[in-house]
Amino acid sequence: MSEEKTTPIDPITGKKIKEISEEVDLNEYNEEEVKSKDINGDGLNGDSLITEPTLIQKLSSVPDNLIMAAKSAWIGRERGLAVFAGVFLASLVITTVVAYGVGLSQAFLQFSLEEEIFDVKMDFSEDPGDNVTGRTNDSVQWESVCDELANMEEFSDCGLVFGRQGVRVDGFFDQDFIIPQPLNVANATGITGDWGNVSWAYPEASNSGPPINDGRILRFYGEGIWDGEFAERHSKRLIYGSWPSSADAEANRSVVLPSQIASAAGVSINDTIDILTFTYVTDYLSFEDSVAGRTLENCAGEEVVEQSGFSFCRVEMTVTNLKVSAVYKEGGAGNPTLLFNPVMISESVLNDSQRLILMDNDHGYLGLTVDRNLLPTTSTADATEWLEELKKDVEGQNYTNSGISVEYNDLISGTITFLNIFLGIIQVFDYVLMIPIVILSFSVLIYGLVLSLEQRKKEISIQRVIGGTEKTLSRIVLLELIVISMFAWFFGYIIAMLATPDLVAAVGFMEFDRDSEFRVNPVLGIVTIIFIIVVTVGVSWLIGRSRTKEFLSIEIDEGVRKVAKVKEQRTWLHLLVFVIGLLAALESFIQSNNSDSDGLVGNFIFDALLLLFGPFMLWIGGALILGRIGAAGPRILGLILGWTAALKDIKRGLRGSGSSESVNRLAVVMILTLSVVTLAAIQGVTGSLVDERTASAQVGADMQVQFDSPVTEEVARAEMMLAIDRVGSQEISNISAMTSVGDIFTSPSGEGALIRTWVLFDDHEKTLIWDNQAIPGDDQDTVIDLWSTGGFTVGEEALDVLDLERKNSLARNGFPDLVMGGGRTIEYTEYSFGGISEDFTPIIIETVTETDIEFIGVHEWVPGLGGTEAAQSIVIGESAYRELVGDDNADNYESNRWFFEFCDETDNNCAEALRNLNVEITNGEGVSSADDWSNAHKEVENSGGLIFGTPGLLSLQFLVAALASVASAFVFLSLVLSQRKKELAIFQAIGASPNQVVRIVLFEIMSIIVVSMVLGIALGIALAQAFSGLFGIFSYIFQIFLGTSTPIDRNLVWPWGRVILVNIMVFVAVIAALLFTTRRALKSDLAVVLKGE
Amino acid sequence: MLRVSELKKGFGSGRNRLEVLKGINLEIRQGELVALMGPSGCGKSTLLNIIGGLLDGDSGEITLEDFTYGTRPPNKVVDIRRKGVGWIFQDFHLLDQLNALDNVVMALELSGINSDEAEKLAKDSLIRVGLESRMEFIPDQLSGGQSQRVAIARAIAGSRPLLLADEPTGNLDVKSGEEIIELFKELCRTDGISILMVTHDPILASMADRMLLLKDGLTAASDIRSAWGEDVEEE
Repeated sequence: MSEEKTTPIDPITGKKIKEISEEVDLNEYNEEEVKSKDINGDGLNGDSLITEPTLIQKLSSVPDNLIMAAKSAWIGRERGLAVFAGVFLASLVITTVVAYGVGLSQAFLQFSLEEEIFDVKMDFSEDPGDNVTGRTNDSVQWESVCDELANMEEFSDCGLVFGRQGVRVDGFFDQDFIIPQPLNVANATGITGDWGNVSWAYPEASNSGPPINDGRILRFYGEGIWDGEFAERHSKRLIYGSWPSSADAEANRSVVLPSQIASAAGVSINDTIDILTFTYVTDYLSFEDSVAGRTLENCAGEEVVEQSGFSFCRVEMTVTNLKVSAVYKEGGAGNPTLLFNPVMISESVLNDSQRLILMDNDHGYLGLTVDRNLLPTTSTADATEWLEELKKDVEGQNYTNSGISVEYNDLISGTITFLNIFLGIIQVFDYVLMIPIVILSFSVLIYGLVLSLEQRKKEISIQRVIGGTEKTLSRIVLLELIVISMFAWFFGYIIAMLATPDLVAAVGFMEFDRDSEFRVNPVLGIVTIIFIIVVTVGVSWLIGRSRTKEFLSIEIDEGVRKVAKVKEQRTWLHLLVFVIGLLAALESFIQSNNSDSDGLVGNFIFDALLLLFGPFMLWIGGALILGRIGAAGPRILGLILGWTAALKDIKRGLRGSGSSESVNRLAVVMILTLSVVTLAAIQGVTGSLVDERTASAQVGADMQVQFDSPVTEEVARAEMMLAIDRVGSQEISNISAMTSVGDIFTSPSGEGALIRTWVLFDDHEKTLIWDNQAIPGDDQDTVIDLWSTGGFTVGEEALDVLDLERKNSLARNGFPDLVMGGGRTIEYTEYSFGGISEDFTPIIIETVTETDIEFIGVHEWVPGLGGTEAAQSIVIGESAYRELVGDDNADNYESNRWFFEFCDETDNNCAEALRNLNVEITNGEGVSSADDWSNAHKEVENSGGLIFGTPGLLSLQFLVAALASVASAFVFLSLVLSQRKKELAIFQAIGASPNQVVRIVLFEIMSIIVVSMVLGIALGIALAQAFSGLFGIFSYIFQIFLGTSTPIDRNLVWPWGRVILVNIMVFVAVIAALLFTTRRALKSDLAVVLKGE
Repeated sequence: MLRVSELKKGFGSGRNRLEVLKGINLEIRQGELVALMGPSGCGKSTLLNIIGGLLDGDSGEITLEDFTYGTRPPNKVVDIRRKGVGWIFQDFHLLDQLNALDNVVMALELSGINSDEAEKLAKDSLIRVGLESRMEFIPDQLSGGQSQRVAIARAIAGSRPLLLADEPTGNLDVKSGEEIIELFKELCRTDGISILMVTHDPILASMADRMLLLKDGLTAASDIRSAWGEDVEEE
């Protein structure tokens, strides 16, 4: 904005207006002083002209003033529209970004806590013993503590559990943490099910946490656990059956089994367990005591020594006639306080004496769920503090008439500690990513405001002439502005709050997963809301004020004549910013296309700074510079098309367009918005694709199954078919294709060095999901063909072993023919037993076979196999393999690892079926593990990949920018055209036909829009490239702190469809605005318009 | 050359209906400079706008050479504005971003004359109004009198037989105003153009060949004093 101001002259007094306005500024003088001052220099004191209202008068006039302002805003709604659009967008974006941050941490907390069903394990604060107060052995009384806790809004569910003994320590690392023991299943019998086949040992438990217990644990649940929030949380993990209500659980004597147990026993829903025996602990002995020769006295059961060295006296107890109600998928290791993956039985199957025994031996505790939505998500420190307060609060009270005192074991805080680091980085990234969209909304606001105020220039000048003071005029304008802004803020706020849950739940670019497991309900604090109001309405007020002041300082005559001062644009600054931005885009391009290159800037710090700030400089500098070209669109296209019949008669009318500030702004806003649309679409689609390709690279196929020992294709197929039958899904009823990747060692002919050699069997491409980045060159068909006909690829680190260089590869030559110098002979040595020699040593026969192979190029990875190993390996095809090992061996090939193809893995139904099949095949015989594409993809999206939540942000960016471009096209155009009403009337007066007028307007605006669109898309492409550098820096940070990475390079993809769609939408909006406004201009009374309205 | 007969025009409807022109009859001969005077609100500009094709009359007929119109809406009488009448406004109404030459050429091109021809005609007419040295200047660089000359050049370039001038000297100083009237007279005399000019300035009006007085929606006497004596209010 120009600093220079003219010093206008008041026509009545002849005094300089600026001086007057300063004198009138009541903020600077006290009331008395003002009243006695001669403000106008007309010989009268100020009192005669201005009577300053008292505060009460001022306050009582506020409602009237607001109503007046609202009316005036409504009358001038056309010009108000621009202000509305700007504030609305700013409010929408800022609210969404803030709410998104809150929602994201909520979602992330929910995601992290997903493994945890219990939030609190509540024990008695005192150890059991004689004459101990604050305890009870009455399970009903203990359970009634839940009723008292139900009054606290922090808890959403509570119930009695018989399970692990009371934990009364400060953390996992306390030595005493390993003493309290769970109930363990000893054995089960039943008519249905092969219970003899079931192992109740569970060594995984102590492998995944402290060495507490390595048997299968058992929990008896009271009615509180079968209903409410606990029921909901348990239900999520079920794969068969449904979680019974407390009444059903009691009536059916329900048992819920982990899938491994159900699978091993071969039982399904409604099968029964006749007798289930379990053990509880009555006493223990530490390792030191055992060494010292002490023994467990009066142990009525068996003495069991755990890994920790502690001995426990375990006594058996039985329950009978249980019915399997549900089977759940075993989760990974979570917080070890409660141990993992129990058998769950209704507490009602215990009789009173059994309950008493378990209570006496400290096996009864209360399980609680915390209303996780109440957890402060503003910062994890707040959350931890909140939980600590809650713990203090709960422990500080006595419960029931027996004065029970409790020990509160919080299971959430541990998770939060981890969250602290992760969330911090994610939020920084998110805020950085949202900078363009915030700037965008502010620029729409500023430009809209300026345009709308320009429309009032004449009105303000006339008001001045008839005696309006600076103060009263500012007040009129600003009050109207504030009324519009408040409405706009409110609408933006409401829409943002409604949209945020969907944005957080976005799983890919523009894919809003309504059934997401993590539904958030972000709530903003009052301080945040006030902050948003201050930022949006406040900025609107500030700009409005400075701009109004500027108009008021313009000479009245000048204002009436509508002569605007041309501002000096800082072209050199814009150009400098733009060039630095372009440099960042170029740097990012070089680095992404050649990972070995340092790029243009060698210094790491400067490079990082360039990549961090460059994208924003490119965007803003680019829009300002390119905006001028956009505004010159009519002249550019006029020069090109001037000779055509369409333009011949009107070309001179177009010559001057583009010089006006408002046309320039229209072009800048178009470029700003459309470049962000392009950026968001490219980065969003690229990000989603990178996630998919990462999943494909990790798993390699729809499913990858690892067997305990090598099996043939038939065995692997049979095992998979069994699993398919067990799932019984319609989606997957057969195996479409399957393959394995052979794994042998070869050496270059005549040399000793062994090279790991992977073998691709014919038709592997039907199962394995290949990626262009994995292979040399970018033509999968050719490479696959070359492999099958004796070609081989090499990992980067294996090049030296075979004395090869990248330049020998075919990739560089587009595979015309095999390149000379790339041929190699490799040999394979088979060792077989040749009997026993005379001196009784075994005879080992070495058979060496050879084959010639031709070098195709360097591979990056093989689907489903580690990238690190791929770098050291060579990959050959089946024909070469057969020459090496012979047809017999090849036909009877066995492998630990088999890949399967079933259905379109990106389809939701297929994905769900894959997840179910995964559970089943994992429990299959001889199967050690299985990975399916769908789970891998989910995991990549949620924690690996780019980052959790980014698809939502990019979608938001896309939507808001698209909305902004359409809205601003419409609003700005209406304003620009209504400013030109008079010009259009002159055209008609000097002989232009309506047709010619329409053509002039159409061509002028269309050429601005079209040129701006092209420039916007071009800038967007450069921006997307520049942002890749920024993403690179963040993924580097993520890799350092969180260890997530992907083998996939972030190669940009170009979603032209979406970009074009938005551009068409803008185009349609522009045409609508044009037709609307031009029609009005043509209909208006020419004579009146020319007379000056 | 121009004949207006029984031209009527009213605004509004019902009780708010105001009849401005109540049956105007007038005639202007070729090469005649006619000043149209009358009190504010008597319908001078309305009459001019209807003759110039910027407004449609309610009834009556206007004959201008071969054109006959009067009640057709402005978008149906584009040809009148192209070939019949040239407009000269008080505010000049030049296109700010075009130079003097382009302002004139543009009007010619709009009426279908090709660029080369239009440029030649435009130069001729700019020379005709004495602006040969100001052709490349944009309106901001021209004085009021010069701007009005550009407007006149624009109006005469298309060989239009009639010029309509709505207070052409209203924004000019006395000397420039007189120069403009001199130019008008010369155009009438040598080029045979007829000019109908609305003015409030009795001195300028007295320089015209003839004066028409509009009163109560009808053409009245050509007596300047009787016209002026009744109402001195500015429009």
